[in-house]
Amino acid sequence: MHEKSIREAYGYIKLIGLTCQYVSELNTTTLSKDFPSAPVGRRKGVRAVVSDVEYLAPFKEGIELIKEAGGDAFKLCWQCGLCSASCPWNIVRTFMPHKMICQSRYGLVDLEDEDWWLCSTCHMCVSRCPRGVAITDIIRAARKIMLEYQYERAPASLRSAMGNLSSEGNPWGNERSKRAAWASDLKIPPYSSEAHDVLYFPCCVPSYDLKLGSVSRATALLLQLTGAAFGILGAKESCCGESVRKAGNEELFETLAKSNIEIFNNKGIREIVVSSPHCYTTFKQEYPQLGGQFRVLHVSQYLASRIEEGRLNFTKELKKRIVYHDPCYLGRHNGIYEEPRRILQSVPGVMLMDEMESRENSLCCGGGGGRMWMETKKEERFSDILVEQALAMDAEILATACPYCILNFKDSVVTMEVADRLEVRDISEIVQEVM
Amino acid sequence: MSELEHDSDAQRPSGGKLGTVLVIGAGVSGIQASLDLAASGFKVYLVEKGPAIGGKMSQLDKTFPTNDCSMCILSPKFIECATNPNIEIITDAQVERLDGEAGNFKATLFQQPRYIDPERCTGCGTCAEYCPINILDAYNENLATLKCVHIPFPQAVPAVSTIDSAKCLFLLRKECQICVPTCKNRAINFHQGERRRELTVGSVIVATGYQAFDPQLQSQYGYKRFRNVVTSLEYERLLSASGPNRGQLRRPSDGKPPEKIAWIQCVGSRDIAAGNPYCSSVCCMYAVKQVILSKEHEPHMEATVFHNDVRAYGKGFERYYERAKNTPGVQFIWSKVAVLGEDQETGHVKIRYRLNGKKVRDEAFDLVVLSVGLTSPQDSRELANTLDIRLNSHGFCESPDLSPIETSQPGIYHCGVFHAPMDIPDSVTMASGAASLASQLLTDVRGTLTEEKEYPSERDVSGEPPRVGVFVCDCGTNIVKVVDVGEVVEYIRGLYGVVHAEEDTFSCSIDSVSRMVETIIEKGLNRVVVAACTPRTHEPVFQDALREAGLNPYLLEFANIREQCSLVHMTDKENATDKAKDLVRMAVAKATLLEPLYQVSYGVSRTALVIGGGIAGMVSALSLANQGIKVHLVEKTKELGGLARRIHHTLEGWDVQTFLQGLIQRVYRNLLIQVHTETEIVDFSGYVGNFTTTLSRARKGGTKEIGHGVTIVAAGTEEFKPKDYLYGKDPRVLTLLELEEEIHEASDRLKGCNTLVMIQCVGSRDRDRPYCSRVCCAHAVKNALKLKELNPEMDIYVLYRDIRTYGLREDYYRQAAEQGVVFIHYDEGDKPEVEIAEEEGRPVLRVSVTEPTLGQRLMIDADMLGLGVAAVPTTESRRLSQMLKAPLNEDGFFMEAHMKLRPVDFATDGIFMCGTAHSPKFIDESIAQAQAAASRAMTILAQEEMRAGGPISVVNRRKCTGCGVCEAVCPFGAIEVNADDRVAVVNEALCKGCGVCTASCRSGALDLGGVSDEQTLSLVQAL
Repeated sequence: MHEKSIREAYGYIKLIGLTCQYVSELNTTTLSKDFPSAPVGRRKGVRAVVSDVEYLAPFKEGIELIKEAGGDAFKLCWQCGLCSASCPWNIVRTFMPHKMICQSRYGLVDLEDEDWWLCSTCHMCVSRCPRGVAITDIIRAARKIMLEYQYERAPASLRSAMGNLSSEGNPWGNERSKRAAWASDLKIPPYSSEAHDVLYFPCCVPSYDLKLGSVSRATALLLQLTGAAFGILGAKESCCGESVRKAGNEELFETLAKSNIEIFNNKGIREIVVSSPHCYTTFKQEYPQLGGQFRVLHVSQYLASRIEEGRLNFTKELKKRIVYHDPCYLGRHNGIYEEPRRILQSVPGVMLMDEMESRENSLCCGGGGGRMWMETKKEERFSDILVEQALAMDAEILATACPYCILNFKDSVVTMEVADRLEVRDISEIVQEVM
Repeated sequence: MSELEHDSDAQRPSGGKLGTVLVIGAGVSGIQASLDLAASGFKVYLVEKGPAIGGKMSQLDKTFPTNDCSMCILSPKFIECATNPNIEIITDAQVERLDGEAGNFKATLFQQPRYIDPERCTGCGTCAEYCPINILDAYNENLATLKCVHIPFPQAVPAVSTIDSAKCLFLLRKECQICVPTCKNRAINFHQGERRRELTVGSVIVATGYQAFDPQLQSQYGYKRFRNVVTSLEYERLLSASGPNRGQLRRPSDGKPPEKIAWIQCVGSRDIAAGNPYCSSVCCMYAVKQVILSKEHEPHMEATVFHNDVRAYGKGFERYYERAKNTPGVQFIWSKVAVLGEDQETGHVKIRYRLNGKKVRDEAFDLVVLSVGLTSPQDSRELANTLDIRLNSHGFCESPDLSPIETSQPGIYHCGVFHAPMDIPDSVTMASGAASLASQLLTDVRGTLTEEKEYPSERDVSGEPPRVGVFVCDCGTNIVKVVDVGEVVEYIRGLYGVVHAEEDTFSCSIDSVSRMVETIIEKGLNRVVVAACTPRTHEPVFQDALREAGLNPYLLEFANIREQCSLVHMTDKENATDKAKDLVRMAVAKATLLEPLYQVSYGVSRTALVIGGGIAGMVSALSLANQGIKVHLVEKTKELGGLARRIHHTLEGWDVQTFLQGLIQRVYRNLLIQVHTETEIVDFSGYVGNFTTTLSRARKGGTKEIGHGVTIVAAGTEEFKPKDYLYGKDPRVLTLLELEEEIHEASDRLKGCNTLVMIQCVGSRDRDRPYCSRVCCAHAVKNALKLKELNPEMDIYVLYRDIRTYGLREDYYRQAAEQGVVFIHYDEGDKPEVEIAEEEGRPVLRVSVTEPTLGQRLMIDADMLGLGVAAVPTTESRRLSQMLKAPLNEDGFFMEAHMKLRPVDFATDGIFMCGTAHSPKFIDESIAQAQAAASRAMTILAQEEMRAGGPISVVNRRKCTGCGVCEAVCPFGAIEVNADDRVAVVNEALCKGCGVCTASCRSGALDLGGVSDEQTLSLVQAL
């Protein structure tokens, strides 16, 4: 290689503020937001330019950064492209997770690429990956780095949600003290280990969002009707933190989780019933590493057992055509497919419809991975597609078992102006209606 | 009700070994092992859980890479098994219990009833015509229906009907029984019950094969949800002329010929999500085959194969793959795919795939074929428990290090896919190998429990007027649907010399043949004409029938009214019938002139010559020596061991050097093996049973002549020395073998090496050597893993075109990735470049390659380079080939008699091959093949004497002018002009009766037995 072009190349690199020196000076454990600009840029990693041809080179420090952030799963990737072919984002735009993983293995991640924020961690790719690559871990790792070095470039609404979670324990910044407002007329006692076996943890959405208050109320009523000895925590609890961990904010997640775990342990809580598959997932899979060992049941599991035992007496009929949508975090993440269907099939009058792409192949509503707190362009909303599918099948009710899904579906139904044709209901609402 | 029967054949000597073998599983592996064993002096019980033998191979349409019709090459083996007096086929049976030890096992078989008496059933199929119940046809992958009482498939052996007990109305509800009176032979017996049978055997061979992966376990592919998604086995049946569509390519939803077909590879293989992380070894090749065949069916169709590496690693595979790639309308796309859905109206299936790193693309296909993997059958664990053998985590059979055919139990051997996914040649090889191990175990009791078929003495027909019997075959429907066989039979009755004429449904079926024998005896026939298929399939069967009836077997004449009549004149029935009459008339005319021909017997020298003292040569030498054969082991270098001397461990971690030293010791200690090192072959002559070879010893000087009965070529391969990538110019550039040696030495420069790059396919898969060297991908992975042990900080890159870690080797590929080895694909047209450079004072080898996903050039500064170079035929092979008259294939490796079913035999009888001389392979594969060569050799050496001759050339001494033309044209070296009396002399052992010399003789001095001039002219005159 000619000396001149090497010098050119080095100059090029320096120009964008990217040098090996910079990265080696990085203290990767610091989450300081005022650290000078981190390795970024489209031209990152360009090692040399020879006769107008750019040559990339593996960037060791970049590789280490990603590994330390928890993304070393890239090692197993063999670039087959199954993830890209399966990812729902390719229905509405171009999104190539396998390319982003490829960049990771050379340490050539483009931290200015907004695409990193697209992933909803639906696990369509992870569940199908033939090498068992933890793809969402890699995305999480990249997000973590991006939050560390370029916090201000993260989506504004996400930053806002994180700030609110930090201060008020919910993503909208509503008053912590009003967390149990949904239950005000239901006379649900605060949890106490002497009186109660089970904690009902409703999730921020049914707790605060007026559109979904009926979900938590319905669930609480059903718990009462089935004689469960349960209580709630109200203002003492915070958001489970699942979504922000996926959004890369490890620190905030740990704060929220540890706070919850402390309360749960102090209160002697052993078993938790949740409305959200996201809470379910984090309580089951992530809280144990932080000292929180609890038995977790999703409301669909709880209700399915009660129906089997014959403890739910239906007095009314619901003669509607219902199509059930598998939430990603209930289905692919936890393998719970049958219980919600069994519940719906046992409700008198219900005509449960066949679905084409369901269970492991279910399309994401777009709410996971922290995307609930981010903007999604109108023409790129998966929940719109699902609502269209439900309408095309002539369904009357789109039923599901996740507050994020419900929120997204309700939004879609409103923006698509089909509220008169399709209702969106949680399983618990449907069951409670026929009691 | 079950009865316990003791096998009355076997005596039970106290503690002594038994000369019988139990073979479990009657696919092509079980069949091959049985045939080898029976020919080597052992009685075989071939046990099959289904109603017929044949296994998966019987369901295939054609086989890669030769495109042979699968059934055509397999069914003659069915007949060989059925007619061999030393093979007993037991169907509908499984092994329930096994006790005892090597040399003396007691097996209890549990046999399900088929409700048909095999002694009485003629396989006529009448019962099926009346049966009211339809069931799914398992042979046709449930794409068609059969009657509840049915013959499993047309060529099934035993050709006996069977009743599906789960669907039969009588067995379920005591209704029906319509079939019973329709059987003229009263063969249907609903009183048949379950049976238990005890067998005492000396050894057991497990050949239970595989089950195809069920893609319903991965709903994303849409199998059984979308109408036009089929498995590869289903597609195989759709392609087949004997399949549900009679070979018309039609898609399931609307019966239209598919114009655009997609193959999705690795369904249920190399897939953690599917629970099968290993590679199924054959799917890439069978997809290539299906593409080629589909284009033959529908030349305008478009084929797209979505793959993740194309594993064309075997002999002839790469050329076959290239052939497919170069066919217009065929694409191979590197991408795993998502099946999006089915268009309800058109039935098209939409697939989404990626185009490198740029974008995804959606495409609709008429039909999607899922290339499903091979899994261990569901009842493997049960069988393993019964036999007390260990399976590995994937459900395949475990074997001791570097002894692939043994199991964890002495005396129990295994072969085929039960060991690991493999193709037909590897299965057949391993099956012969298993036969060899059993044969070695039981060598002391060889021949003690076998039967020789007894024939009556031959009747002298000289002087008798011709009494010709003509047997015209319907061939099921193949002949009779075109030719009016009844009319032909009537016509024949009026011909001169014909005293018997009959129509048969299947002349070759067991009952037809026994009727033929009876008829010959009853009517005193002295000539037989069979008007049926080509003599290539069943001539030996009918010749045997003549012998059983006391006639010389060469008093048989064939008229081919199938391939040469019904099959080529399918639309013209009237003329076809007339032609058939002509053909039979001609055959009858010739038959009246047929004379008996006799074979000569000669002794077999119980000595073997093994050429090459590497692992393959040594293993086959020991195998033969263990069976009492004297062996001359010839090695051209000073030491035994061959290429294995440079190999320390295999990919699996087996210790090669210890194994090698042990092997060499055993060879030297064996009194029956004479080792000749620094020795070359300078002359080779003779024929099977009686070869003569002249050896030239470099050290001792002079020559030595040895006589031997068989020859095994185990001459090995060499390492290609490339000119690319600075090899030979820079000491930092090594071949993978050289790198392996340096790893073993744990050199300082390796310990200090920061970055090492391996470049694959150097010298292979290019225009000079368009073949794959098979072992280099695994070699690279092996070296990478060892390097990571030596120096965990080292950055290792492997630049590849396809990673071909097939079978269970896939696990190691994954391990290497897990340890951070980076694998980068490059295209043949865009090879990596290497130049010498300096980086901040550090001398580096600068490697640049196009990163396929990023679409940009990647630059890697390496401290060392490892090249995956080709394995090439030795410099000796050409000379050896000429001397032995043993042909080489287009890539310079020795050419076998038949690529699929005779992988270790040469076309010349008595010469065999094994090891890398056949083609590059792994050590455990060489070991299996060496055992196989020994087994095949034993089928000759175990005979008391050889028989040769019969329909061979005959020299009329008075007419011969000694011109030597015949000698020049003979492909077998079977005729020579005697120097003394200047007359040609035929070597009866070598002459194959091909007729080339006869046609070339300008003096008319040569005639061919069975096709003499007079006989041939009679054909013409009859026409």
